[in-house]
Amino acid sequence: MRAQPRDTGREEAALEASLAAVWSSRPGLLGWLTTVDHKAIGRRYIVTAFLFLALGGVLALLMRWQLAQPEGRLLGPDRYNQVFTMHGTTMMFLFAVPVMEAMGVYLVPLMVGTRNIAFPRLNAFSYWVYLFGGALLWIAFLLDMAPDVGWFAYVPLAGPQYGPGKRADIWAQMITFTEVSALAVAVGLVVTVFKQRAPGMSLDRIPLFVWAMLVTSFVVILAMPSIVLASTALILDRLVGTQFFNPAAGGDVLLWQHLFWFFGHPEVYIIFIPAVGMVSTILATFCRRPVFGYLAMVLALVGTGLLAFGLWVHHMFTTGLPRLGESFFTASSMAIAVPSGLQIFCWLATLWGARPRLTVPMLYVLAFLFTFVLGGMTGVMVASVPLDTQLHDSFFVVAHFHYVLVGGAVFPLLGAIHYWYPKLTGRLMEERLGRWAWGLVFGGFNLAFFPMHLLGLWGMPRRVYTYPPELPWGGLNLFSSLSAALLAAGFLLFFWNAWRSARHGEAAGPDPWGAGTLEWATSSPPPPWNFTRIPVVEGADPLRDSPDALKVAAGLRLDRRELLLTSVMAAEPEARESSPRDSVWPLLAAIATTAMLIWSIFTPWAVVWGAIPVAATLIFWFWPRGTPEDES
Amino acid sequence: MAILALALLGACKREVRELRPDPPVAAALGGVAALPVGIGGRPPEVYFALGKPYRTNAYQLSEGKRLYAWFGCAECHGQGEGTARGPALLDGWWNYGPAMETIYLSLRDGRPGGMPAFHTRLTEDQLWQLAGYVQQLGAYSGGAAAPGRSDEPPVRPAENRAPARFAPLEP
Ligand code: HEC
Repeated sequence: MRAQPRDTGREEAALEASLAAVWSSRPGLLGWLTTVDHKAIGRRYIVTAFLFLALGGVLALLMRWQLAQPEGRLLGPDRYNQVFTMHGTTMMFLFAVPVMEAMGVYLVPLMVGTRNIAFPRLNAFSYWVYLFGGALLWIAFLLDMAPDVGWFAYVPLAGPQYGPGKRADIWAQMITFTEVSALAVAVGLVVTVFKQRAPGMSLDRIPLFVWAMLVTSFVVILAMPSIVLASTALILDRLVGTQFFNPAAGGDVLLWQHLFWFFGHPEVYIIFIPAVGMVSTILATFCRRPVFGYLAMVLALVGTGLLAFGLWVHHMFTTGLPRLGESFFTASSMAIAVPSGLQIFCWLATLWGARPRLTVPMLYVLAFLFTFVLGGMTGVMVASVPLDTQLHDSFFVVAHFHYVLVGGAVFPLLGAIHYWYPKLTGRLMEERLGRWAWGLVFGGFNLAFFPMHLLGLWGMPRRVYTYPPELPWGGLNLFSSLSAALLAAGFLLFFWNAWRSARHGEAAGPDPWGAGTLEWATSSPPPPWNFTRIPVVEGADPLRDSPDALKVAAGLRLDRRELLLTSVMAAEPEARESSPRDSVWPLLAAIATTAMLIWSIFTPWAVVWGAIPVAATLIFWFWPRGTPEDES
Repeated sequence: MAILALALLGACKREVRELRPDPPVAAALGGVAALPVGIGGRPPEVYFALGKPYRTNAYQLSEGKRLYAWFGCAECHGQGEGTARGPALLDGWWNYGPAMETIYLSLRDGRPGGMPAFHTRLTEDQLWQLAGYVQQLGAYSGGAAAPGRSDEPPVRPAENRAPARFAPLEP
């Protein structure tokens, strides 16, 4: 056997040069299109998701403008239906879920100390599919053929009889895109966490954010098939005349709601659990101590992930359920407050007497605690059947879920962006602007959404495009709309800050916050190979435990992309494994998939003919190139 | 790219939802220049100016389908297969001709063989919606814009699935 170059005992500079030779992408457009680097793809994912956030925000402003006064004239009923559907669909499917997964894509490999995500080509594929799915939805909106059936697309409204045209088909197919991309990412993350952790990072030393992403990925893997099934059945009903949801032919309308919410409720936790991980990470850093109750936190994460599947029916309390069902799902809905409460108390204990540094990320964490607790309280309220019967489909519910989603996920996310921005770009975000943006976002949010609780209690229904002046809703609606402008100003400031700091921000070293997790052990932004030498972990907080010099592993080959596989439990080194090189086939496969999926809205034959290019691109993607599998 | 853009622009017409036409437009829609026999003629200019929405727009077609159910057409015509009281509409055979304006006239003014007149019960644009739907029902092949199946016991394939079975004429 020919001697292979290894990294053992090499000079740092020579080592980096040879790593650069194998890990770097080609320069130029081709390199951009073919790269499988998790950092490039994660960054892209994040930027795209924030773009969709901005678009969805514009829609929200349109709605607030329309509702600011009775008999508003900005949007007609048909356009309003499209706008609220697009807002919900964009925010849930194109912003919240992808952005959380994107943070995982970027951070998890860094935090577990490996060189790339598992299945990097699949990861690249997932981004392209996500991008094309989002483009499909928004192009349809520009063409006045956007879905208008709500982000949940209930049948029979979305079914063949009452949903004419292609609008609901576009919704269902867009869901397919996001399903595929979310599943692809989830699989990659699970394998990365299980098999690619740095040696020594046993289960009890995994950073909480990584735990959160692991639980989230499992929730994705278990929840998505339900919506795959549902949206496929819907599109079959609509396009080829099957009878899944036709009660007259033995189908069932409520089946849709069950399938949708069996996915839809865990979806909330798909968004929320990563946010929880971000909060724990930020708290630990700025309180300069590990989060109180690591084991309890991990169990709470896992518990949330499990319970997430036991309470979907609380979205359907008003559909007429047997008593026992109502009681069971009330109980389970309230039970989810237990792990959430547990985490809140752990965070409070962490904060207790810690004198945290009140940086912008920390401010967002405080905003999260306040807002999320409020949203959680109203959640317990609507979890009780009698109250829910009263509040169902009113603005109270709108207020509740915005408190939970914006408070519970967007605030931590904004904090996380400030926190990890140096790792993403190598520069810090401007602190003063950040504080202003924080104030506007936090204040504007509460002023805009708190009145909606009252509006709901006063009987204002959701999804109405206008209301007559005789009803007493005008004042609060106007107030809420004006406050929404504040919120929007805050987001503008945030975007401006992010944009400006990318070029003019203060340069950050590898570890500007004095944090303890592995992503801070490498330069900011990290080189394509992440770690010049794979670190060895000896505690939960590797950088704090051994501040001077991290132990490293050696023996990896330098003539190909190679990373270290470790055992699931104790993270003992098991094997060296090659990591795939850049490839254009994921992009081409995504294009072929897109063509097939969109075409199939117009004719079922697309599934037959469209499958041929998909198969062809996949065959080339997996074409064996004669590199023998490496043993150990 | 250009073809794609054109296709998309064409598609968007199919999806627009004109909930209620402007009153003058609605009035003008009644101006069919009919031949004295009541068969054939020329639809009003505004029908073309609108881009023939009643045949190509998914929303208008499914409104036609709903009117078909609401105004009891099925009493005599069944789900298009016809009954003892009225002829079949989906066999592609028309007593009075397949043209849009002829069907419109059948609906508006009725026909001597027992077809009631509907001009007192439906507005101009509703008559056109219905005519578009009926024409589509008997068309040789399903269009790209077509209503889907109803939530009813299935008696025949949905409009967007199946062309008429024995359709000798392309309308
Ligand atoms: C009372 C029974 C009855 C009802 C209700 C009825 N029709 Fe008819 N329809 C007939 C009969 C009978 C004829 C055949 C008339 C003839 O041949 O002179 C006919 C003819 C027609 C024709 C012309 C068919 C051709 O071959 O040219 C059309 C189109 C039509 N009906 C559509 C409708 C629609 C649409 C409705 C519902 C709004 C409707 N009909 C309601 C009995 C009915």
